[in-house]
Amino acid sequence: MAPDEKNTVATGGWAEQGKIPGLKSELLEINMGPQHPATHGVLRLLIKTDGEIVYEVVPYIGYLHRCAEKIAEGCDYRQWVVYTDRFDYLAPMNCNFAYVVAVENMLPELEVPERAEHIRIICAELQRIASHLIALGTFGLDMGAWTPLLYCFREREVILNIFERLCGGRMLYNYMTIGGVRFDLPDGFAEEVLDFIDMFEHKKIDDYNTLLSYNKIFIERTADVGLISLAVAHAYGCTGPVLRGSGLPWDCRRNDPYSIYERFEFDIPYGMGEMGTVGDSWDRYMVRVREMRESCRIVRQALASMSSGPVIDPNLKKVLRVPAGSRYTRTESAKGELGHFIIADGGTKPFRIKVRSPSYSNLHVIQKIGPGLMVSDLVATVGSLDIVLGEIDR
Amino acid sequence: MSKETTTPPPGYDPQREQMLDFKVDGQLAQIVASDRKNFILTTIDEVFNWARLSSLWPVTFGLACCAIEMMAASATRYDIDRFGAGAFRATPRQADLMIVSGTVTAKMAKRLRLIYDQMPEPKWVVAMGSCAIGGGPYFKYGYHVVKGVDFMVPVDVYIPGCPPRPEVLLDGLMRLQDKIRGRKGKFRPPKWISEYAQKIPYRK
Amino acid sequence: MEQAAIYQLLVERLGDTAGLAWHEEGPQSFATVAAEQIQAVARFLREEPRLDFDLLMCLSGIDWDGYDENGKGKSVDILGYREDGIPETSDRVAEGDLGVAYHLYSYQHEHQFALQLRVRRGKPIVTTVSDIWPTAEWHEREAFDLLGIQFSGHPDLRRILLEDSWVGHPLRKNYQMPGQWQEVPLKGQPYSKNPFKPEQDSVADDSGDSGNSGEG
Repeated sequence: MAPDEKNTVATGGWAEQGKIPGLKSELLEINMGPQHPATHGVLRLLIKTDGEIVYEVVPYIGYLHRCAEKIAEGCDYRQWVVYTDRFDYLAPMNCNFAYVVAVENMLPELEVPERAEHIRIICAELQRIASHLIALGTFGLDMGAWTPLLYCFREREVILNIFERLCGGRMLYNYMTIGGVRFDLPDGFAEEVLDFIDMFEHKKIDDYNTLLSYNKIFIERTADVGLISLAVAHAYGCTGPVLRGSGLPWDCRRNDPYSIYERFEFDIPYGMGEMGTVGDSWDRYMVRVREMRESCRIVRQALASMSSGPVIDPNLKKVLRVPAGSRYTRTESAKGELGHFIIADGGTKPFRIKVRSPSYSNLHVIQKIGPGLMVSDLVATVGSLDIVLGEIDR
Repeated sequence: MSKETTTPPPGYDPQREQMLDFKVDGQLAQIVASDRKNFILTTIDEVFNWARLSSLWPVTFGLACCAIEMMAASATRYDIDRFGAGAFRATPRQADLMIVSGTVTAKMAKRLRLIYDQMPEPKWVVAMGSCAIGGGPYFKYGYHVVKGVDFMVPVDVYIPGCPPRPEVLLDGLMRLQDKIRGRKGKFRPPKWISEYAQKIPYRK
Repeated sequence: MEQAAIYQLLVERLGDTAGLAWHEEGPQSFATVAAEQIQAVARFLREEPRLDFDLLMCLSGIDWDGYDENGKGKSVDILGYREDGIPETSDRVAEGDLGVAYHLYSYQHEHQFALQLRVRRGKPIVTTVSDIWPTAEWHEREAFDLLGIQFSGHPDLRRILLEDSWVGHPLRKNYQMPGQWQEVPLKGQPYSKNPFKPEQDSVADDSGDSGNSGEG
């Protein structure tokens, strides 16, 4: 069933399985067009299939290319934090975090206060939970399960309420800034977060496990589907839950730590092939579910060890100039390794910012593992990769 | 509303503003009042309008971040289904409302136009979010961003926000329902819309 | 291994042919390599057992046009859309090189490395590394799309983020914003003050014009 450029006649698949001699058919070129009811955004997949088995998948991106890297050359360092929100609009705190950490790594005399670091960690981990909730919900929706989506949105509304009390924005925050965060915590924030974590960690995740994770239909549809071996994952630059689902317990927060992640204790869940083979869609899904539990642990520890003090570096000048040089800094976003390569020239505006988004490389792997899957398995695999088009197209 | 207005800025088209800006209740009353001549047709019109506004079925056209707020609006807390608009159709042939939520890029613009043309009449368009209204934060250096979806399709309601809260989306939906309730007779788009509408080829 | 040690290893093996140089000032040290030798250097970095760089984290195209070498921040400005939505124009001739930056990581040894190379603007041809790291296929397509750097030996070099018929490479410093593309209008409508609320116009004038970058 290996496709090649001139192979337009299907000789494998159903023609063989049906054992009808002389049955030939042409390959069908279907467009899973930029407007389709899956929620991953404006992605176009050109699929060559014989009706059921996919022979070739070519993703076409760029339908949401919003020129963010060009805008970076035209506005201040602080002003560009607004645009980082819009990359991964399901996990904007993580995107903010990645960018401000990248800029702060280039400012040697800057010192982020302890309180701000703790607040950043709490926001990033709560945001990771919110992003994984949508990933699980929409993954179930692609399989046809409506209820888990509504449950996930219900939990996500609580997190969004917390963030709205914190910084005024429900979905796109522009909260972290270079040198700290913009506002201090409101009263009762710690209690609110602890209430949510208490409710979520033990009761809700078990709900999802009952509804979706150990559901027989779900297992049938995702186990042994979309296998990504570790070699393929390394070659195609997959990071995040995609890489961990293939069996490697590698996390940027543990192996290449930034901010104050070294002080916290958390495990790295990785795929062990419980329901099928290591590296299938179920493993990637389960890595996300388990990561939500670990995020709850980190939030508890961060709340316990939070101190008082300023939330932004008091010595930061109003006009921010970053000394000349270049550096690549990477962080662990909810989708994978999000990195910024910043070239500074000593002025107030960056010279070049290149954003390395995790979904860009994660989507590339579908070109390799797509051939051979059935069409519905392809939908399951794309859903398990958890891509966000805002990040891919920037 | 004061009548001593300043001189309008260049590029301000009063006819366009009047067609699209439906915030004046007085105008609504005038339009409805002028219908009162013929009782029977007015009632039938009202019944049809009521039926149309109570079951606006949107086509899933979520492009970017605003799409997530649209999903949140259709989730359990800000239920959009109580307005009758909960059945999001994947195919435009069965939908009558297009909520353009997100940034329209040059690459996507033709597909947007194609989806709009495939929707049967009567149809309405809601521009949700600042990117759909006027290019949003990508105005100054966005070489690939269409500065407002009304360059491509005629828009009925603009919902500001970045992204607008789900409640604001519901409020915009209610304004659209008011607009539907207040119009008379058949769906007749204004003349300037056909100029825009015929200019853009979408089949290459 | 330390970055300097990695560079020493590189110099021992390929120092005489690869045109290597080591830059240590700045927040991250990197090596520069001649553009023709990038394949040999990349293959060595990938296959040498002590180095084993199996992840290409990031491949970025750079336009060094107008970069302020003195570090004073006087690099050239880019062109955008004016307040009335018309694109800005300028007659400035572009100069300077184009460049590519590679950032590598090894899962086994847990060390990183940064490489940079420069090509002349008139002939921006770099050998591809997509046969060494397949993830570079899409990254190189993006560098070609936005900056015009050609990668020789690439299996499928065409535009990825913009349409195939787009003219120009947007991330270059002298790129002029298009007014339209194939009948899709890309110019903006002019900013207009709301004519129905005259009493608030004076307040808007005090705070300055709303045509700032990043504010929309």
